[in-house]
This record gives sequence, C-alpha cells and structure tokens, in this order.
Amino acid sequence: MSARRIFAIAGRILRQFRHDPRTVALILVVPILVMALVGYLVGDAGKEPLPVAFVNADAPVAEGAPSIGSTLGAALALQTGIQAQPIQDPREAERRVRDGDAAGAILVPDGTSAAIIAGEPAQIRVIVGGIEPGLDDRVVGAVRLAMAEVASAAAAAGVATPQVSVERVPVAGGTDLSTLDYYAPALVVVFGFLFTFMLTSVAFLRERSSGTLERLMASPASRLDLLLGYLLGFIGFAMVQALVILGYAVWILGVHIAGPPWLVLLTLLILVVGVVNLGIALSFYARNELQAVQFIPLIFVPQIFLGGLFWPVQMLWTPLRLLSQVFPVTHAVVTLREVMVGGANVAEVAERLLALAAFAVAMLLLGLLALRSQRA
Amino acid sequence: MTLAIEVSGLVQTFGPLRALDGLDLEVAEGEMVGLVGPNGAGKTTLIRVLAGLLRPDAGTARVLGQHPGRAVSASIGYMTQAPALYEDLPVRDNLVFFGRLFGLEADEARARAEELAELVALEGKERAPVRTLSGGMRQRTNLACAMVHHPRLLLLDEPTVGVDPVLRIRLWDHFRSLNAEGITILITTHVMDEAERCSRVAFVSDGRAIAEGSPAELRARAGATALEDAFLTLRDAVEGPS
Repeated sequence: MSARRIFAIAGRILRQFRHDPRTVALILVVPILVMALVGYLVGDAGKEPLPVAFVNADAPVAEGAPSIGSTLGAALALQTGIQAQPIQDPREAERRVRDGDAAGAILVPDGTSAAIIAGEPAQIRVIVGGIEPGLDDRVVGAVRLAMAEVASAAAAAGVATPQVSVERVPVAGGTDLSTLDYYAPALVVVFGFLFTFMLTSVAFLRERSSGTLERLMASPASRLDLLLGYLLGFIGFAMVQALVILGYAVWILGVHIAGPPWLVLLTLLILVVGVVNLGIALSFYARNELQAVQFIPLIFVPQIFLGGLFWPVQMLWTPLRLLSQVFPVTHAVVTLREVMVGGANVAEVAERLLALAAFAVAMLLLGLLALRSQRA
Repeated sequence: MTLAIEVSGLVQTFGPLRALDGLDLEVAEGEMVGLVGPNGAGKTTLIRVLAGLLRPDAGTARVLGQHPGRAVSASIGYMTQAPALYEDLPVRDNLVFFGRLFGLEADEARARAEELAELVALEGKERAPVRTLSGGMRQRTNLACAMVHHPRLLLLDEPTVGVDPVLRIRLWDHFRSLNAEGITILITTHVMDEAERCSRVAFVSDGRAIAEGSPAELRARAGATALEDAFLTLRDAVEGPS
C-alpha cells in the first residue's frame, strides 16, 4: 500500500470530473430536480383545484336551518384542493366526470338531512372516473374531510353519531380491481420507454463511435432507410418485451385488460416509434455511453413525476399541466389506463393516440435532422 | 483516358482550419495512386469528400464522372482508417450486412462473403465475432467489407496503420492484384516505402497537392535517393524551408 499511489489515483479521478462538466452538472442537477418536483407534488402550494360537480338535492328539515347538503357544500367550498361547482342535474354531473370535465361529482340525495336527524342511515354518492386512483382518492378525500362539518352539524341537531356513508361510484373500471390494475399500465409504458430509449441511444452511439455510421453514410442507403431500419428492428424488440410484460401481468399477476389487447399494443407501438427516434437524435449529443445513459434521468424524471403516473395532471399548476401534455408518457399512460382499466375502445382514445403519433412524427424529423450533419 | 477521380481547387474548412486548400488531383481509371503526406495534410479529408461524407466549401470533385454521394456510392469501396465493424457480429455477418446494404441479394451476399473471407485469408474465422479478432484480422475484415460490392474504385485511408510488416506486404500484394484486375485505387499513406509501390504518387501538404508523378520521377526531380527526402525537398521548394 502506498499513499502516494492512492492519492495519485484519487486525484486523477477528481481531475477527470473537472474535464467532464456535464457529469458534474448532472449529479447536482438531477437530485435537485427530483427534490423540487417531489416537494411541489406532495405540498399544498401552487396546485390547481380539481373541478368537482356538486349536486345537492337535500332539503332542510326546519325552516331557516341549513340542510346537511348545504353544510357539506359550504365545507367543500372552503377546501383549496377542489373547486366545487354546484349544479342541479345529476346526469349532467355524471357526464362531466365521464368526459373528464370534472374530476368527480358529489351527489347528496333528497332526504339526507331528514334521515340523519331521524338517526337513520344516509348515503352520499361520489362519482369518480375509476381509472386514475390518485385523482379519485383526492375527490373522495375531500368529501371525507368535509364530513367533519356534517358531523358537527348533526351534533348540533342532537344526533351524536350520524349514520352517513360515502359511496364511491366509478364510471369506468370496476370495484374488484386491485392497485396493480391501476399501475400495470404505467409500468408497461415506463419499461417500454426506458429500455427502448436506452438501447437505441447506446446502439446508435456505438454506430457513430465504431465508424460504422460513416460506412453507412458512404453507402447507397438514405437517411430514411437508416431510420426506418432502426425503427423496424427496435419495434420488433420492444413489442416482444411488451408482450412478455403484459403476459406476465395478465397470467401471473391477474391484471385485467378490459379493452381490446391489440389497442394496448398499438399504443405501445406508436410510443416506441417516437422513442427510437428520440434515442437516435439525442445520441448525437453524447460522446460516450455514460453520457448517453445520463440523458435518462433528465428525460425521465419530469415525465415520471408530471406524467400522471402517481399524481394527477389535473391538479398541476397550469404551465406544468400544459408541459405534461407534451410528454409522450402522459398520453401513453392515460391511454393504457383507459383501455386496460376502463375498457375504452379505439374511438375513445383516438385523441391521445394522435398526440402520440404527433410525437412520433416530430421525433422522426428530429432524427433525420440529426443525421443530416453526417453526410454532405 | 477516362478519369475515375477529378478534383480541382478543392477547399474544405473546419472552423478556422483549412484542411483542403485548393487541392487538384486527377486519377485515371485503372490507376493506383498513393496520396502521401504527413498527418494533418488533408489526405483523410480528401477521401471523405470523395466518399460523399463532406461537402467542400469550394472547388469541384467528381468520382467516376459523377458528384460524390449516394448515387455513385454503389461503385465505390471506402475503407476507413480504423476498422469500422460491428464488434459483436461474426465476420461473415458483417460482410453479408454490408453486401446487402450495397444492394446484393441475400444469397449473392453470402456467396461473396465466403469468397472474400478466403481472399483476405480469414477462412475459418467467418463465424468468429469481430471483437475476438486480432488487429490485423480486423483490418482485413475491414478491407473485405469495403470490397464486398465489387467496387470499380477503392478509397483506402491508411489501410496498413498498425499492421505488422508481414501482413502489410500481403495487403499491398493484394491491392496490386486488385489493381491488376482493373480496379482503380486511391490509397493514403505516410509510409514512404509503401508509396514506392504505387504507379503514381501525389505529395500532399497543408491541403494542397504539391507534386505528383511516379516514385522514380519524384526522386529524380528532387535529386534525392529516398522518396522521403524527395517529399521534404519538394515541399520546401513550394512552401519555403520550415
């Protein structure tokens, strides 16, 4: 053992970092990015309230005294996490949830006040989307929080323990689904994106550093030939991976696919087309494989946190929500949830698929642009 | 005499660097011409222009009567300085891939791969992944890949760098026999005794062709006994002693 040699090695490592400012920046930037995003997402500040339809059909039992329904409405109005929108028609409320105009709908039926004061069971219905647990939990949570006000109103009327329950009614999906059912679609997207990106960017980087790209460029093959060839190869690979993951999820873990399975594969296919080209384009900004892999956290962290995997995009500060609509992961996860959990058909997810297709085309153009620099 | 390569006033800059600075060169079909010059003289840049990989800033370049680029690339074999191969693939798969890329049918490419493996003395190594090969074997595989589509013109960029003397002689014998079959060859080197083996040599310095002729002519013109001295003398005559 020699201190001189040990210091020589340690010193050399530090000097190498000095010549690789990108790595240093990344080690500092990525943790801060993650902490900032998590801090924002779990905190209360800077969120947009979720629009929730509120249908109050309840009537007060005594003149002048507020009904349980309006007590609940007043308590909901004070909450910052949701924005209660009082409406009359319960069918309109359900339509809003179904079409995504509202994150949920709270229905207080006629006679609720009367039932509670008489000491009989009453029920408040909360209609939720049923495919995004993070979103549904927030709406139901807001109702449960407001129930404290209902309890004190009942106590004032002399009912110590009001028998009132909150029933969660999903418009899509079912009640027999497990947590895994909700997160399996997200996992399939994340694996598909991550591995496809990693493999293509490294494969293309090697093509460049080994000199074979130069050889391809000096051949009769066009840039489009090259990109389409890469696409076809990696699509095959990504589809096999998707089938294995889905197969395991369905047959071993018992995950449900309510909608058409081919639609799941189509969604992944369109996603992969975009990701392959993204990998190719970004590989031009990396000198070595380490640098190519370093793009992963930068590209991935914002999409994981802001893409609606765990935290609903509807509650994001508007600029962030708009940003999340640019992320392919957002659209892919929502599409797969709607298909696998909600049983959506192709027409219902067409808009999302178009968004993914737009991403794919944009990335193909970016790939062609990146290759342009390689040939006269 | 038809010209395989016709270059005049070629200028290629990379930022502040003028890699080619008004280079002229003509190579007739069937010739074997050596581009000789020190590192950084512009030899590789010229080869890359001819292979269609760079667009010159000024001047004209024509290969086999056409602009360099995709259209003519099927008739050109381009051998890069460092072996440009797929390391994980066997020799044979590399050859077949490049054959297919240059338009051969699948069985044609397979037959050609076998033929070439024999030609560059790699029989028995066809199924070995490139990463397991020695430096010399890689270089031979690299050459085979450049010839897979029966090119009429070979652009060889320092094909013998890092190759042992025995193999170097073999590779040159090989180039000679290809040339004898009618293939035009433009080859870059900074090893003078290799240049002696070319029918014609062009001295390149600072992005310009400063002299050309057969090795004997060049020596005579400079009054030197070695080609190396001839290069220095002729360079000093053009640029002034350095």
